[in-house]
Amino acid sequence: MNRGPFIFLGVFIIVVASWTYVVYKPNQNVGRLTAIIDEEQGGILPRGIQGAASHGREVYQELGCIACHTQQVRVATGTDIERGWGVRQSVARDYIGETRALIGNSRIGPDLANIGDRRPNANWHLLHFYNPQITSEGSNMPAYAFLFETREIVGEPSVDALDIPEPFAPENGYEVIPSREAHSLASYMASLKIDYDLIEAPKSNEIMAEELAFALENAAQ
Amino acid sequence: MSLIGNICSSLCPELNGETKNRESVRAIDASIRFPLLSLIKSAIVWLIIATIFGLIASIKLHSPSFFGDSSILTYGKVEPVFWNALIYGWLFNAGITCAVFLLARLGGTTAGLGIFLTIAITLWNVAVGFGIIGILAGEQLPYQWLEFPAFVGPVLFTAFVGIGLWCMLTFRARIHRTSFASQWWIIAALFSFAWIYTTAQMMLVCFPAQGAIQTLVNSWYVENVFGLFIAPFTFATILYLLPKTLGAPVVGHKYNTFLAFWSWLLFASFSGVASMAHGPIPVWVSSVGVIASFGLLLPATTLSIQFLSSLFQRFSVIWDSATARFLLAGCIAFVVLMYLKVFGALRSSQGVTQFSVYDSGLWYLAFFGFAGMVFTGASLFILPRLLNKELPSSTLVDLQFWAQSMGVIIVSIGLISGGEQQGALLNQSTADTLVIVKTMRSSFFMITTGLTFILVGAVANAITYFWLLISDRSESEQSVSLIKEAPELEYNAS
Repeated sequence: MNRGPFIFLGVFIIVVASWTYVVYKPNQNVGRLTAIIDEEQGGILPRGIQGAASHGREVYQELGCIACHTQQVRVATGTDIERGWGVRQSVARDYIGETRALIGNSRIGPDLANIGDRRPNANWHLLHFYNPQITSEGSNMPAYAFLFETREIVGEPSVDALDIPEPFAPENGYEVIPSREAHSLASYMASLKIDYDLIEAPKSNEIMAEELAFALENAAQ
Repeated sequence: MSLIGNICSSLCPELNGETKNRESVRAIDASIRFPLLSLIKSAIVWLIIATIFGLIASIKLHSPSFFGDSSILTYGKVEPVFWNALIYGWLFNAGITCAVFLLARLGGTTAGLGIFLTIAITLWNVAVGFGIIGILAGEQLPYQWLEFPAFVGPVLFTAFVGIGLWCMLTFRARIHRTSFASQWWIIAALFSFAWIYTTAQMMLVCFPAQGAIQTLVNSWYVENVFGLFIAPFTFATILYLLPKTLGAPVVGHKYNTFLAFWSWLLFASFSGVASMAHGPIPVWVSSVGVIASFGLLLPATTLSIQFLSSLFQRFSVIWDSATARFLLAGCIAFVVLMYLKVFGALRSSQGVTQFSVYDSGLWYLAFFGFAGMVFTGASLFILPRLLNKELPSSTLVDLQFWAQSMGVIIVSIGLISGGEQQGALLNQSTADTLVIVKTMRSSFFMITTGLTFILVGAVANAITYFWLLISDRSESEQSVSLIKEAPELEYNAS
């Protein structure tokens, strides 16, 4: 009944069908988007990231931060908006600049799509990386102390040294200097903001309902 | 009676135990002994490596300072190493073990090119090793189960083509003109994996699609690794081993196998994208996934009725045979898994469990419970036949069975119920993430406990293997008659 070539053909058709329908068609729909120019919102959208932030993105990927952090905001479900994790739905156009998309699907920690807006202070991030207990007591995020150098103060203390509160500070005569990776990662965090509107991105359920009602009214006329 | 006998011998021609048959079966086993032993050994070693990494990761979840100073063992690296070692190390080797054994046995003729197969297997395992070193060295890609650095992909693919070619040639060389259901499942799994792996590598690693599409390709790949690769191998193994260990044909194999086979492949290949609900992709895509997940009810019901009624029909035999016991555990895990998977795909369930640890709970159940139990049972069936020795210690096998079962139960309950709790807080309240982490602590402890059990089982498995390998043959084992292709050996073994 089931001969080798028959199975080969059947499996081929099934895999191709599922690929066409599930991967290829969406790719035709939303896989060839381009950036848009909107002078009112400050030029090219979505804004790309450059320099240190771009290096920080590589550090983020290397350290596997994606294992616990997503970068996507949903409005139709969940409480992302109420939590202040974003103001609108993340849409495909937001990610067009990402060669390696860091969207993620696990939230052991909070979403980071808009962290630059919530925590604009790079120093907060550096303290958080050095030891998350300083800024978020009880967190199970690992410390990234290996991104910092603890060294003896010779002469004047470095201007770059972290100002660490008491129980976590290194012993007297020592200072903690963030490495280039730590700085880059912090500027990547600061750069993560969705502070622009896209026409296809609904802001919240209420606005979506309004738009729908408006569209229905127009359709009826 | 003769009807049953005919069905029985058509499903597994070696069951009738004639001397001539016995000798030809011995010759078949001898022809694949070396590659099979290296596959089983790799599977055992990878399982221990994976479990150790999983343990480190789970300890880090409740005690983040564990190995806290090490940049190599940070959570974000250990976690992907665990899953990749588990899938490409343990499950791949264990699944191919069953595929090779089944194809050679069901083909009814000695298999050639053992060296070719061994080289391909070695290449695969070396590539997986390099992939894991790559992740630890910070070269990981941000795609679930495809974290291996870019250079590993082509090597893995080449090795897989080698293994696949050997399987195809062995299938071609079969002496029976018709084919058995187990063979369909294996052939389908081999074809599918070649395609899904190439597609995923092409669209993610070589020529990356645009950002949001990448997550789509990724979740399509992830679900298909299970649905089109690991699950088919497991079904093949169950369908072969049930009549072997129970001494009776699989219930309803004449009518249902064909339907279950094609409907499973069809629906499983579409079902992966259900988890993308409300993400940055068109909404209809995840709806397709939900519908396909419900379609899975058809083959899942058929297969579980077939498996469980075959097992319950001969319930008294199950506890006499180590393999049958593992099969029973695997089939029960399958029923629970499919229930959770199908109803978990609904939008209302996704609204609770999305982004929580619920999904990884399902994968634990699928890999350690369903596939893992069946593959372990199969290796306990294959080893004595390959080496012409009896299993050295039934206590060890018992220990392994109970440790592995307990481990699966504890981890799955911890992650699935913990995931629902976490998801409810995460998606339906505005509780602070620090509060959520606090409520999740007991779940994280359960993962550690469960994985410790699984590690005990894995070590027991390794001891059984090496003990069997180095022990001398007893007098009865030296005689040819020990290799009886009837269930007797199985009953004595534990």
